[in-house]
Amino acid sequence: MEIRTLLKHVGLILIAIGMTVPFLWMLGTSIKPHHEVEELSLVPRNPQLENYAIVLRQSPDPYTGKFLDLNFPKWYFNSIFVAAWVTVLQVLTSSMAAYAFARLQWPGRDKVFLLYLGTMMIPGMVTMLPNYQIMVGLDFINTYQGLIIPAAFSAFGTFLLRQFMLGIPRSYDEAADIDGANHLQIFLDVILPMAKPGIIALSIFTFLGNFQSFFWPLVMVKDDAMRTIPIGLLSFQGQYGQQTELIMAATVMNVIPLIILFVVMQKQLISGIQLGGVKG
Amino acid sequence: MSASPLRRNALIALLFLGPNLLGFLVFTLGPIVISLIGSFTTWSLRPSVPLKFIGLQNYVDLFQDPNFYFYFYNTLYLLIGMPISIAGSLALAVLLNQKLKLRGPQGTLRLSLVAAALTLCIAGFLFFIGSHSAAFLIFALGLISSTGIYFGSIGYRTFYYLPCFTAGAGTILLWMQLYNPNFGLINQTLVAFGDLFGWQIDPPGWLTSTKSLLGFLPLPEHFNNGGFGLGAREAMIMMGVWAAVGGNNMILYLAGISNISPELYEASDIDGASGWQRFRFITFPQLAPTTFFIVVMGLIGGLQGGFEQARLMTEGGPAGTTTTLSYYIYTQGFERLDLGYGAAVSWVLFIIIMGITLINWRYGNSAEAE
Repeated sequence: MEIRTLLKHVGLILIAIGMTVPFLWMLGTSIKPHHEVEELSLVPRNPQLENYAIVLRQSPDPYTGKFLDLNFPKWYFNSIFVAAWVTVLQVLTSSMAAYAFARLQWPGRDKVFLLYLGTMMIPGMVTMLPNYQIMVGLDFINTYQGLIIPAAFSAFGTFLLRQFMLGIPRSYDEAADIDGANHLQIFLDVILPMAKPGIIALSIFTFLGNFQSFFWPLVMVKDDAMRTIPIGLLSFQGQYGQQTELIMAATVMNVIPLIILFVVMQKQLISGIQLGGVKG
Repeated sequence: MSASPLRRNALIALLFLGPNLLGFLVFTLGPIVISLIGSFTTWSLRPSVPLKFIGLQNYVDLFQDPNFYFYFYNTLYLLIGMPISIAGSLALAVLLNQKLKLRGPQGTLRLSLVAAALTLCIAGFLFFIGSHSAAFLIFALGLISSTGIYFGSIGYRTFYYLPCFTAGAGTILLWMQLYNPNFGLINQTLVAFGDLFGWQIDPPGWLTSTKSLLGFLPLPEHFNNGGFGLGAREAMIMMGVWAAVGGNNMILYLAGISNISPELYEASDIDGASGWQRFRFITFPQLAPTTFFIVVMGLIGGLQGGFEQARLMTEGGPAGTTTTLSYYIYTQGFERLDLGYGAAVSWVLFIIIMGITLINWRYGNSAEAE
């Protein structure tokens, strides 16, 4: 029987290796000198950090002698700034709306909620084109407002937090109500603290989704200085597309913060997925 | 004078709902209506095109557009990855749920330390004789196996979930390089493997190839069929499976399995059921609601998918073979600037998704009722 347990471990380890090898190759290639890229190896014979220096514009590209047209510090800032604002706003608007749907009685409530649910079925591509036109109308193209505001409202987030708030026993609100608390106090002091696991899960998904968001920034951003990291990585598709070692250095810079975030937040994230049956 | 409690309540509800409802109306419901109306017009980003109501013309054009059928075929073809990754997620979840602890006092800790020590020694030796890559691989193996053995399910889960968590532009670029026909890791490994046995291997062209596994079928001329083999679409599928197999679906299955009543398994033990029988007659049927949810969500997502991969890796090529309907909508809207036609395609996509979901619902519910 002990042998069977061991065999299971062997199987699980082999799969884990398969899942991680692309990342190992990415790390290895990012420290390769150009002439070693075509060799089959995970670790270069002459490892060097030059590729990172080139991508971060500390050194010129050895082939053209020019500095690459990249701006990682700015892209990081943009990505984090936009994702953080969207997360804060979305959690705020979603939790308030969820409170209205889960804890308050008002005429038409279930119909409005059904409308929210119904729109979740419609592909994002349907609303993308008109939203772009709305952004043109508001003169939000190529601005932070344009990146943040349309993403700050979420039917999904409202749905997730509503489900969570429905699970909180009524007796808590009633006790607070008898003590003379108004709805704002009940929301802030009773419901929000109890909905914390749901809010944390929604925050992680929203932040990650917007940090990695590709489509919306792709159509909104016109200017190099407004790029987020995923859009910045597009530079590698055309002009620098042949230099694998530079692409991998840039990719490492996209992926490593995410791996750190994942390892730190793993527990909350997993419980969040189980909570809402979420697609991340 | 105080308002009636119902009206007071409605006012409070409106205060709480207000910000979200405003955003919902402006950025979701409004655009849906605009898109629907726009799909019956000449709506364009080109100022030279006057906005005119043209009835069903966009839809008529669409059904006569041979590319629409081609890209719909591509979209469906890429869904092949879905059953593979769902089955994989289920298998991983079942495997992770097995008894992974070793017997004996601290057997798990001891084995974990043995694995760490052993792999460190081998890695050190390999490093010493100059095989740095092998040493690195063994070192990684040691790290993974000692973590996995010690932490069990949670340890392995971390490694499996990483591709899903990091999925995005970065990992797409990473795979683009892995698929490089000449020096990507995949083809280099295939060739090296062939050399080992003295075989001459002609590796697939991956992202540059129009071949596909259904290439032997007599597909229409404009489907740009490159014959039977592994091509760009298979590359997309493999990447998708890698990203999804240990992701959210696996986590959902793990949660589903932990909800199955242990009594069912105890009863099957008494009856002397084999491992496969336990899976076939308890685990799998008990997970039916989870599977149903995953399939429905997977189809909804999958039919809308393929945009990022197409935009970053292939620009929809080679010869349009990786253009999906979502990428087609994007190119119609933002490259040809024809928003009306793009909107029409997006509504047809919605109807397809709706139809498939309804079929799913009917079939899924009747299957559950059995």
